[in-house]
Amino acid sequence: MQQNIYCSCSRCPFGALVCAVWVGMVCLVFCSRLSGMKAASICGNAQAECHFLSLANLFDRVIQHSARMHGISNDLHSEFELYFLPSKNQVSRVGRNCHTSNILTPNGKENRFPVTDPELTEVIMKLLAAWRDPLWHFHQSVARNHRFNGYGSNKSLEMSDMAHELRKGVQKVVEKMQTLGVISNSVGGLASPEALLAADGSGWRFMKDSDLLYCFRRDSNKIQNYLKILKCRIVPEHGC
Amino acid sequence: MSLLAPSYLRDILKRCSSSETLRSNKQLFHSIEADLITLLLLLSVRLCASPPGKPVLIGCRSPEKETFTCWWEPGFNGGLPTRHRLFYEKEGSEEVHECPDYWSAGKNSCFFGKEQTSIWVEYSLTVVAFNALGNTSSDLFKIDDVMKIVKPYTPENVTVLVNDTANTPYLCVSWNHPPKVDTKSGWTTIKYELRVQKEDNKPEIFHPNKKNSFKVYNVDPGATYTVDMRCQLDQSSWSEWSTASVVKIPNYFQNEKPFWILVSIFSVIPLLATICIVVLKRKFVKQWLLPPVPGPKIRGVDVQLLKSGRAEDVINALIGNQNFPPAAAWMDQTEEYLLVSDSNDWLLTDPYISQKKKSLVIPAGVQLEIQCRTSAPAQSDCENAEVGKDGKVEPDHLAQTKESVLNVAAPSVSSGSKEAASGNAAGPTGYVDIQQHKGTQGAGPNAAQWDYSWVKEVNGETIFILKNEDAAAGLDVPGWEENTAADYSRVKEVNGDDVVLLQKHDSADSSCKKKEDRSAEWTNQKAKSRHGSDCGKGACLQIAGNGYVDSVPRFYVE
Repeated sequence: MQQNIYCSCSRCPFGALVCAVWVGMVCLVFCSRLSGMKAASICGNAQAECHFLSLANLFDRVIQHSARMHGISNDLHSEFELYFLPSKNQVSRVGRNCHTSNILTPNGKENRFPVTDPELTEVIMKLLAAWRDPLWHFHQSVARNHRFNGYGSNKSLEMSDMAHELRKGVQKVVEKMQTLGVISNSVGGLASPEALLAADGSGWRFMKDSDLLYCFRRDSNKIQNYLKILKCRIVPEHGC
Repeated sequence: MSLLAPSYLRDILKRCSSSETLRSNKQLFHSIEADLITLLLLLSVRLCASPPGKPVLIGCRSPEKETFTCWWEPGFNGGLPTRHRLFYEKEGSEEVHECPDYWSAGKNSCFFGKEQTSIWVEYSLTVVAFNALGNTSSDLFKIDDVMKIVKPYTPENVTVLVNDTANTPYLCVSWNHPPKVDTKSGWTTIKYELRVQKEDNKPEIFHPNKKNSFKVYNVDPGATYTVDMRCQLDQSSWSEWSTASVVKIPNYFQNEKPFWILVSIFSVIPLLATICIVVLKRKFVKQWLLPPVPGPKIRGVDVQLLKSGRAEDVINALIGNQNFPPAAAWMDQTEEYLLVSDSNDWLLTDPYISQKKKSLVIPAGVQLEIQCRTSAPAQSDCENAEVGKDGKVEPDHLAQTKESVLNVAAPSVSSGSKEAASGNAAGPTGYVDIQQHKGTQGAGPNAAQWDYSWVKEVNGETIFILKNEDAAAGLDVPGWEENTAADYSRVKEVNGDDVVLLQKHDSADSSCKKKEDRSAEWTNQKAKSRHGSDCGKGACLQIAGNGYVDSVPRFYVE
């Protein structure tokens, strides 16, 4: 028995060669698989190119999400105006005041707009945090009072959920940026901007539904625009 | 005023009614009319001078989401030079501002620059017309959101080229973004729309993904296409369509006409030739295409006879010519004969030799022939069995009433020849049927009675068959008494590989004198005899000491 083994490896060079070739092929296959897997994986390791690609991807998704949210708010607002405010009563609009007015937002391209990235990120987070409770209560009132038809009620719930999801998504983007060192970690310190709004937190309860929808439509547009600006500043090479 | 009184005029006309002065009076009248009108106008102005009419704000537009312009329509100016001023208020502030730029955008317009433009902020606009007598304000014009008034300019430099490489023409449309639109900073997202219309058909709309170019593939050669574009910023209103470009795609098929003519000519000639051939040689063609089917023909049968239809003729014709081979007698192939004989006795000629031969096909494939001879009645019990290649069994006794079977195993198959001397291998898996006359000696040599006798002893080439009928009684194997037709010889002793000593019963050991050591050619058993003791019930093909040589699974080991 032992003699046979020795024979196959030493006395038969052809057998040894075949063994070596087979081992080599197996190694090649494994290595190629590993490398292929690396390329296909979502970049768990610290690789610079890969990180920026995934950040751009995250931004794209978040922007798409915010666009969708804005679309829904637009639909709801126009529907509301159509059914509940047929006559454009300009007087009622005079007193309109959104509860997020106190958040200083850049409103033009040039004026007050050399806003830094961290500031812009903070603004986005503040806006999203400020709308969490009002949207939820709006949905509750719509469902309770049957103000809208079923379509409107679904939309209001969808809007509320989307705002919540968007907030989580933006938080992820912020974390990613902090990991990459794009922005400082101080932004994360304001993860709970509700504390800042505590004093004004109840201001939205007295808003009318029409005003609420109007304000949210505007704010969702702002959020979408700010996200786009942020993306084109941080990862400009990916479609700007 | 008394000068212009109608009565005065009438008086003048009366006075000048003479024909001579009529002509000159008419001229005078016309000039007086002109004066009157001028006077009236002047007076009315003095009387109807009023504050200006109410201006109307027509609309506002922002072409790039950074600035915007508003236009108004002035009202009646009240006969006095009027001046319009625009005032606006921003949301969240009570401060009233005035339009910063009245001239950049033309007459009756107000241009808001980048510093004054705030998106997502509500504007309230008012235009006030001022003249010497007063002022008039327009209605309040509200801009909810500057985003709502965004309407970009048309895309610039829309050029269309026809690209006809590789025989698949397509249109290559290229353009630039509208002026002053910032697409790089992410402030605006621009979307384009392309319209292609073929001659007078319904236009097709495309939405290019690229920023500057687009290819239109489904174009027909020889057709005329009209292409124009427009764009949109962030879901705003669409811009106007750009100036249309008209292109005509060259017609390729015209160039290829002579080619197709040649092809058709060259394909027609062989076609004509084929037709001519087919027509001229139609019989041949027909024969080749559709060969005639041969009629039926039976050998030896006259078709005419069949046609006549008479029954006897038909039958004779069909059957009568046949020559059937004679039917061969069916032979019982299963019956072959086992010839077992003593070599010495083989030469004896006995008048009562019965040459009944019967053999069995043994499971191992051996065929033994047993030739049983009966000599004198006294010796009728003696049998001879010849077993083995060289083995000769010499039984010297015949059991009268009992039957015995000598198990012979013969692995090597020999053909069922009647000469047992040649090549009958004997092994312990077969039966030896030894014909025996049971005391019916008068039955004649042809009386076929199959009977079995005990093999008393096998010595060398000799098988000793027990004569005594008590021989079988001595065997105390259970179940054996029941089956008298299948008795086994008891192996007394196995010596070595090739010696089997069959048991000889004491009571029967009377007349048997011959004892020879028999070396049975148990060729199959050489190896197995060692394991004889391992045999148990069941299939066992071995010779066991003091056991039975048997090939049937009913095998007892003692």
